[in-house]
Amino acid sequence: MNSTESQTVSNRPLWRLAWQRLRQRPLQYVLCVLGIALGVAMMVSIDLANGSAQRAFSLSTDAITGRATHRIVAISPTGVEESVYTQLKRGVNQVAAAPVVEGYVRTAELGDQPMRLVGVDLLAESPFRTYFSDIGSSGNGWVRFLMEPNTIVLSQETAAQYKVSLGDVLHLDVAGQPRSAKVVGLLATSDTLNRRALSNFLFADIATTQEILGSVGRLSQIDLMVDRPQDLEAIAALLPQGVKLETAEAQKNAVQQMTAAFELNLTALSLLALVVGMFLIYNTVTFSVIQRRPIFGVLRCIGVTQGQLFTLILGEAAIFSLIGSVLGVALGIVLGRSIVGLITQTINDFYFVINVQQVTLAQSTIVKGLVIGIASSLIASAVPAIEAMNTPPTLTLQRSTLEDKVQKLLPKLVFAWVISTGLGIVLLRWQSAGLVAAFAGLFAVLLGAALLTPPLITLAMRGFSPMGQQFLGVIGRLAPRDILRSLSRTSVAIAALMVSVSVIVGVSIMVGSFRGTVVQWLDQTLQADIYVSPPSTTANRVLGKLDPAIAEALKTQPGIQKAVSYNDADVEVVDFHRQVKLISANGDVSQGKRPYAWIRPDLGKDPWNALNARQGVIISEALILRENLSEPPKSVTLQTPEGDRTFPVLAVFYDYSSDRGTIILDNDLYEAIWHDSSIASFGLFVAPNVSVEETVNAIRDRFQGQQSLLVQSNRSLRQGSLEIFDRTFAITDALRLLAVVVAFIGVLSTLMSLQLERTRELGILRATGMAPRQLGALMLLETGLMGTMAGIFAMPLGYALAWILIYVINVRSFGWTLQMALQGRYFWQALLVAIIAALLAGIYPAFRLGRMNISAAIRQE
Amino acid sequence: MQRILILICTIVLTFLCSNSAQAATTQLTWLDTDPVDTTAFRKATTPQTWHFPEDFGPHEDYQTEWWYYTGNLQTEAGREFGFQLTFFRQGLAPTVAQTIVPKTAESTQSPQSQWRGNQIYSAHFTISDIAQKNFYPYDRFSRNRIALAGAIADPYHVWLENWSATEIAPGQVRLEATTPEVALDLMVEQTLPPILQGDRGLSIKGLEPGNASQYYSLVQQPTKGALTINGQTFTVKGLTWKDHEYSTSSLSPGTVGWDWFSMQFNNGSALMLYLLRHDDGSLETTSAGTYISADGKTTPLTFQDWQVKVLSTWKSPQTKAVYPAKWTIAIPKLDLTLQAQPLMPNQELKTQTATYWEGAAAFEGSQKDQPLQGRGYIELTGYADRLDSLLSVRN
Repeated sequence: MNSTESQTVSNRPLWRLAWQRLRQRPLQYVLCVLGIALGVAMMVSIDLANGSAQRAFSLSTDAITGRATHRIVAISPTGVEESVYTQLKRGVNQVAAAPVVEGYVRTAELGDQPMRLVGVDLLAESPFRTYFSDIGSSGNGWVRFLMEPNTIVLSQETAAQYKVSLGDVLHLDVAGQPRSAKVVGLLATSDTLNRRALSNFLFADIATTQEILGSVGRLSQIDLMVDRPQDLEAIAALLPQGVKLETAEAQKNAVQQMTAAFELNLTALSLLALVVGMFLIYNTVTFSVIQRRPIFGVLRCIGVTQGQLFTLILGEAAIFSLIGSVLGVALGIVLGRSIVGLITQTINDFYFVINVQQVTLAQSTIVKGLVIGIASSLIASAVPAIEAMNTPPTLTLQRSTLEDKVQKLLPKLVFAWVISTGLGIVLLRWQSAGLVAAFAGLFAVLLGAALLTPPLITLAMRGFSPMGQQFLGVIGRLAPRDILRSLSRTSVAIAALMVSVSVIVGVSIMVGSFRGTVVQWLDQTLQADIYVSPPSTTANRVLGKLDPAIAEALKTQPGIQKAVSYNDADVEVVDFHRQVKLISANGDVSQGKRPYAWIRPDLGKDPWNALNARQGVIISEALILRENLSEPPKSVTLQTPEGDRTFPVLAVFYDYSSDRGTIILDNDLYEAIWHDSSIASFGLFVAPNVSVEETVNAIRDRFQGQQSLLVQSNRSLRQGSLEIFDRTFAITDALRLLAVVVAFIGVLSTLMSLQLERTRELGILRATGMAPRQLGALMLLETGLMGTMAGIFAMPLGYALAWILIYVINVRSFGWTLQMALQGRYFWQALLVAIIAALLAGIYPAFRLGRMNISAAIRQE
Repeated sequence: MQRILILICTIVLTFLCSNSAQAATTQLTWLDTDPVDTTAFRKATTPQTWHFPEDFGPHEDYQTEWWYYTGNLQTEAGREFGFQLTFFRQGLAPTVAQTIVPKTAESTQSPQSQWRGNQIYSAHFTISDIAQKNFYPYDRFSRNRIALAGAIADPYHVWLENWSATEIAPGQVRLEATTPEVALDLMVEQTLPPILQGDRGLSIKGLEPGNASQYYSLVQQPTKGALTINGQTFTVKGLTWKDHEYSTSSLSPGTVGWDWFSMQFNNGSALMLYLLRHDDGSLETTSAGTYISADGKTTPLTFQDWQVKVLSTWKSPQTKAVYPAKWTIAIPKLDLTLQAQPLMPNQELKTQTATYWEGAAAFEGSQKDQPLQGRGYIELTGYADRLDSLLSVRN
């Protein structure tokens, strides 16, 4: 047949054949579509939730950045002196500059969520942001906003949502301090994006904002619009020490960098789900090919070309993957909406305040879901398609040829396992390649394990066979043989289940170890009896400061033996170009019980004496690990309001509260260099024989009405910390559950196909005297065996996974060293899950076979 | 001088014109459209006793005030320039609102923000490069807090960011203004005592009582210094006219705009006229003027004392507004006839808030059969925007 002729050949009969098959075995295809859909859904949902959080952050940042090209910010958290603005306006030629003061407040009338209070100067706003460009058209209403203290403007949408109207007085909670503000203006915008961003804002005059936030004399930043380099130079030359000029994007990038590792982890977890989904696809397509091998043989004999066959198989796969992916995207959107809250919570707990009120569906998310869903399906089906294409027609008619091939393949698979695992180990050890390589290594190890499944099954079943016969009779011998006979299919199902279960084991060990480590760390670190801080807008971080009067009064609170004050700020480590958390403390809240990863040898066991003597800083382990340093640096150079300063490193401590890295500095040194004497929190040691509970209550009562304080006993702080921890890992629970569902569907579809394929054989078994109950028992034994194998294989793999997660992934993403803690239940629970999933999957085929019509079954085909 | 309307527009219409394109996307609804209580301000009802240098400074008990510098300059070689540098003050309330912070026993009361104020300053700055027929207009505004803008009587200082009028020595004021394209640095010397306009400084603007301003001028002030245009600096000298006026009043409805003339003649005398125009082209009866002889003696003029005829017009390519561009002015009482003509046509100033024409002009004619010539400034308002309709926004 020459090529011109082949083009005129119609493929329609082939498609009709495929359609017919679909009508005969719809369930199999439904499961295939479902498998793809779940894999895609998982990815899409995480992408969506991540994207929405990022988008919310980006929108609210952009809404404030406006058309600014640069900004002036302070190095100290106290902000930019407002005189810098005057100098700028009077010293530089006609520079477009606008002052901004901002902070977070909670408003009882607006759902008590953190809102961004933005203070602007109406007269400088117009080149930067358009919100107040319209002020003249509705009279002189803006005059009240400008002149009258405690007046604010909010978005019309927010006002409508919370039924707030013009003239209402809102009660603001500014780090526990009560303030009130009158709504004097409502801002409506026709732009959807702006409207969304605006819903998180309260606007006030710069004077009002300074007064409400208690930052009189200070600006959060000065926005600039500069396009000529010489103007930038002129501005830079004018700036006093302690402030810096940066691009408008710089801050946004820094913040987004913070969450990069967190997001990558989530994405990797979702990819894991997709990998499991791919097994499923591979499984289904393999089946549909294998089952049609006789037909394909006949087709090849009557002149259907290899290419046509390949097109047919891939075409089928493409159609199902498209349907599955579309469904997956839809399902992902639904799931994404429910997990966006979880992700937002974690970001709020650990990184920055965002308020995601709306799920943003990016086109890229949909496209990514569809492309990955379809591509992975095509790749998964390419293997059986090529196999079918390359098998000579005479052989395809024989069913055993494939299984023979698989048997011959076993040594090669062992070899492939060695290669894949080796590659994985290389990737995992390749430190400088970062997190992506680590995840690639993880996947390589997983894939290797999956490749090793067929040889392992063969070994296990050969070992089980005599034992089975001894204890279970015929069924005991038949079951392992059946599994082995259909190894090309059973191994895929077992591998899928094994991968899923190993993910459960690995993640459980990791989370458990993590939790154990954190509990121990909290116990050692938190030695003070009472902790006092302003109520924070987010759970993990303290955003506000204590009222200085309260801070002073607390030190002399009756019954208090010692008060350790804490303050924190962001600081740039010049050596690493990294923003880290700077803690200034006037004492060790752990009373020397804190464990250290490293202490400078000359300092003995407790580096705090040297810290108190202002000899240097203590840095966190995360800083070293995230910088890939093999040993602690001798010193770190920090950007300070008085220029770059170098501090010797005294010790390295563990800090699980921040993944950015933390630096502890003596409080006096901090005050002297950063000119910031505020206090964010206190750790109080109660005198002997004084009741902690009574002191807690006394402190609460004493400062009531002045600043509502978060006064916590040691125990409740620990509890609170663990609650945050558990909340953070709630998303992993959801992922674990999904992995099980995907695996379950995989096993179910495999078993059903297997049983249906064997209808004739089983019919003969029935005809030769096997009772339906026996047949059912056979089915369940087979599935039970498969589940057991998957569960057992999953244990070492799960352990390996946990090891990788703890010692590679965690270290590279967050810079935390965790103590691996193994618990028996992680393993037996996983085994149970595998067996139950497999047994459940076997029930329906067993039930159907029990009701089979023997004569029809034998006559089939 | 009736620039009061400009000022009111300036404040009321802040941003309105400049950002009309973006105004479509955001809309603000305010609690109340007119929270400014103008009755709380003092009104100019009777002539006041003037005290200098105190009265060089701001009068915040009045709602509006301006310090208005216009001048005609030339280089040694005779190349001519004109400039305008004006500082406006607008009071939003006679007093600054006090912040009430909830006070508890141990709380430290948070101090009042330095940004909290009750005044808004704006400024207009233009340079007219007559030879090149180039006009450079700029405007700004700011509150008078954290030293961004303000006015001080003694030593005299009015400023908005880096535009300022600063007393260097008694009677010597330095004018400075820079923008990326042009800059001005002039020394202005006072030679005559302040000329009190109207009735001992009380300049009646409308028929309603209190519709008047306190108004004095410094005229025929020798000026020298430097002027920079796109990097090229010119050494210049010439004459500067300064007006300082404050009031709490508005004009009668139906006034669409005004024409204002300030002339400084070669013989040392000076003349100021303002013509308030009605809808139908007729003049408001309070239109008035002052003739100042070289020795500083003043002759008040009413609108019946002059005949002003428009000889030609100029259409702005930018706003399509049609402005008068040539006049004859006859004042029989002074035996004076003049022809007035802008030194260049396009001196239209489209600020972020209002559009008007204000430019250097030449005056030529005769008085008592003696030839008379001079330079000065003409201000034309209400041609681009109908002022009364703009003002209705406020009402």
